[in-house]
Amino acid sequence: MYINQMRIYIVILLLLFSAASSKANTIYNLIKIPNLEIYEINTKNKVKYFYALKSFRLGVKKNIKCFNSDIENLNLKYKVISRNLNQYSSGFLKKINLKYVVLCQNLSISGINTAAIPDNIMKTLILDVNFNKKYFERVIHHEIFHIINDSFKEIFDEKKWSNLNEKKFRYAECSTCTDRWDLSIYNKTEGFLTEYSKTTPSEDMAEIFSFLMYNKNMIDEKIIYDVVLKKKISLLKSNILKIDSNFKFYDKKN
Amino acid sequence: MIKKIKASTSEKILLVFLIILAFFSLTSFIIIKNKCIFVKNYNPDEIKFSTPKNIAVLNVPCGNVIIELYPKVSKNAVERFKMLIRNSAYNDIAFHRVIEDKLVQAGDLEFGEKNNLDYGKIGTGKSGYGTINSELDGDFKFTKGSVGLARTFKNNTEDSQFFIILQDEPLFEGEYTPVGKVLYGLKVLKKIKHQSNSEYILKPDFINTFGMYK
Repeated sequence: MYINQMRIYIVILLLLFSAASSKANTIYNLIKIPNLEIYEINTKNKVKYFYALKSFRLGVKKNIKCFNSDIENLNLKYKVISRNLNQYSSGFLKKINLKYVVLCQNLSISGINTAAIPDNIMKTLILDVNFNKKYFERVIHHEIFHIINDSFKEIFDEKKWSNLNEKKFRYAECSTCTDRWDLSIYNKTEGFLTEYSKTTPSEDMAEIFSFLMYNKNMIDEKIIYDVVLKKKISLLKSNILKIDSNFKFYDKKN
Repeated sequence: MIKKIKASTSEKILLVFLIILAFFSLTSFIIIKNKCIFVKNYNPDEIKFSTPKNIAVLNVPCGNVIIELYPKVSKNAVERFKMLIRNSAYNDIAFHRVIEDKLVQAGDLEFGEKNNLDYGKIGTGKSGYGTINSELDGDFKFTKGSVGLARTFKNNTEDSQFFIILQDEPLFEGEYTPVGKVLYGLKVLKKIKHQSNSEYILKPDFINTFGMYK
């Protein structure tokens, strides 16, 4: 009886050992995303870019999906992505825990298309290279803010932020439980730069941050007549400077 | 009277062929059986080192691996590593994770000991000295033969487990705390037992001894 139990135990062990594939590559071991290859790792700010060689699925329920993109498209988008990410110093990226950028296309979570998935624990940003051409560059900074926010939750007090709005205003319960998706800038801002800003405090912050990094001039014009927005920008900037006093709100347009 | 029968030419050829076959079979059996046969075993006493105090000698089934430790790159990690080596903590500890031509990992002092191997937990054991902080800012290239401290998914969880890479791994830079580099004996490490279908090894090879040279 005992010998039989031992045999079963050994068989189970053998199966378990066989299941852990030795073919797993270094990238998988580092960020737990399969089917990736190095795109570029010798960058000035030490960001390592990977691309999907084949489609991959992630998550406990495998509900995150992304597909491989053709190399011409990747080459084109990489130039845009790296130009925008180069605005962040290696020191700042280290503080916020961003090191790896995964390039793929048609990224979705549970069937809902998304521009990116930031993961500060794995130091990774998965980017959909085909997401919304019009706002693609600004969205990169929007997603960077989510990594910043996730890494420094204590700095970005959502209650304090919400109190800057008009008393009647209420954010939605979550960013996907509303139809406020529009990313185009309001003519009349009234405390919010875009419709999407109205979803959650974190999305509101991310939208402002993205404009500060992408088209600062545009919001400089808006805040002349918008006191709420002015206060929000001031709070956001001071919070970012708490993380890195040398941080530059670089404006690509300048 | 017994009549002597002379062997024919074809019988003689067959005999010679059988003898040659037996010779080759025996030699190949010895070669296959002895995986260390073509691996050079370095004797540290025959080598002159510029920093003998930072030389560690890892003895494994196929011979010695001579490692130079870099306290200037990772002060605390090398201090921890040296302390464990001096305490003979790594003797009889398994190479529990081996990826062919890529990496060997050992140093689980809790579950990787020869007489107390725990397959269910190996790789998760502790040294009892607590974890130390990652040292990731030093100027170090993770080229073939680099030695680093292993950790969990989180930084600052380095303890006693270490790995040696058998190929260049530029992605390890800034990820893992380096402690040194193999000066001699990399081929010895390539002979550590691996499995083609798994990183984790059943009936693994063990470290015989791991000591500081001086």
